[in-house]
Amino acid sequence: MALRDQLRRPLLLILLVVVPAYVVTRSIATTEATPRLIELPDGSVIATTMRELHGAIMAGMTIGFVAALVGVFVMQSALLGDRRLVLAGYRPFEAITARLLVLISLTALVVAVSALVTAAHFTPMLWPTFLLSLVLIGLIYASIGALAGAVLDKLAATYLIFFLALTDLGVVQNPMFGDGAPADWAVILPGYGPSRLMVGAAFSPTLHPFDDLVLSLAWVLILGGGAFLVLRRSIGRQG
Amino acid sequence: MSGFGAISGNFLREQIRAPLNLVLLVAIPAFFVLIFASVLGEFAEALGGDLARQSATAISAGWAAAFLCGALSYFQVSSSREADRRLALAGLGPRRVATGRIAASLALGVVVSVVAYLTLWLRSGVAHPLHVAAAIFIFAAIYIGVGALIGTLVRGPLEGSLLVVLVFSLDVFSGPAMTSSGGFGNFTPTNHAANLLIAGGGGQGSPTSDWIGGAAIAFGGLLVALVAFFLSARGRG
Repeated sequence: MALRDQLRRPLLLILLVVVPAYVVTRSIATTEATPRLIELPDGSVIATTMRELHGAIMAGMTIGFVAALVGVFVMQSALLGDRRLVLAGYRPFEAITARLLVLISLTALVVAVSALVTAAHFTPMLWPTFLLSLVLIGLIYASIGALAGAVLDKLAATYLIFFLALTDLGVVQNPMFGDGAPADWAVILPGYGPSRLMVGAAFSPTLHPFDDLVLSLAWVLILGGGAFLVLRRSIGRQG
Repeated sequence: MSGFGAISGNFLREQIRAPLNLVLLVAIPAFFVLIFASVLGEFAEALGGDLARQSATAISAGWAAAFLCGALSYFQVSSSREADRRLALAGLGPRRVATGRIAASLALGVVVSVVAYLTLWLRSGVAHPLHVAAAIFIFAAIYIGVGALIGTLVRGPLEGSLLVVLVFSLDVFSGPAMTSSGGFGNFTPTNHAANLLIAGGGGQGSPTSDWIGGAAIAFGGLLVALVAFFLSARGRG
């Protein structure tokens, strides 16, 4: 039922396809093939081009921002109306699961579109790990959006996630800037783990992603768990 | 006139009733300019734009003002539609509601523009202060119109936000800051404003055509916003 509700909003589905498709395609197409040295997660330095780099990372940035926006409004919609579902007889777990399923499905759509568009312009060395990194970015930022939507109003939440996604994924973790490696302090940001995975999978045929994977999964669990708890508290409260 | 002031003041207070909204309205343009200014020169070079460092810093202020005002204006229309209709029916009339809304939008646009300008000035200095300040405000005014227009056409907040993002992305990626190829970029809403800000940020003057173009599009944007607020407030039947 919750998923059917999304199908009744064709403009949303169109935009969830068009926005990532346009942003990824356009940014890669307009990037010059300027040489660039970057540092991979294993510490090795490779030579690539700005265009290849942009092909590798633009999907992640786009997914982060769009998934976070989706998270904001799915959470706000849930907080507005799902309590009534519980009062009408649904169990809180059912209502929460439905909402999280919608969030995950829409995030998956954005990830799929971004990955397909990226594939048209760029071939990562390790596709499975690259895809995994995109999924992790989507889940992390969808959860951040959900949490922002729970505590802030629409405008403030939109501003916050715009700034956070662009700063974390677009600047701090972006090997197109600076010396080609994120600063040491970048590890405290949620985009660090999946971004390192993404860059490593894009350019290295051998990758040992354990640390970055664990860090990414920890963020997913903490943030996703937080979103679940917020929903549980709001929807399942007594009286 | 005092009635107009009261209405506009109330609409303005509505937007900043949550203290965090005001904090973000001030903090985000400041941080945006500080963080992105340092990387935009490299980014623009990678995309084939020919942006000097000072100009890259300046354009970040315009983009910050544009996105923030676009989102603000969108939510003003979409969130307040029913309340504005009731206000109009209760005796204010759609014209006064619309002028109150545009005044509140302009006031917030000025706040965002001033913060972005001051951050720019403190970070890098501004060779042509009035030139740069006017150009930043033109960005804000144009996107007040963009956000309001989208708010009139699109009800769903997620769809509307995504559409604001899409228009902003089209504008940014096609604009003179990110590409030197012209083409579609010559027809983006902020093409003249971007030229003004790039020139001002680089310590150069701008041709009259850019001033006329920028002012005309900004005026058009505000007119679109006024019409959008009017249509939003007009009661059915």
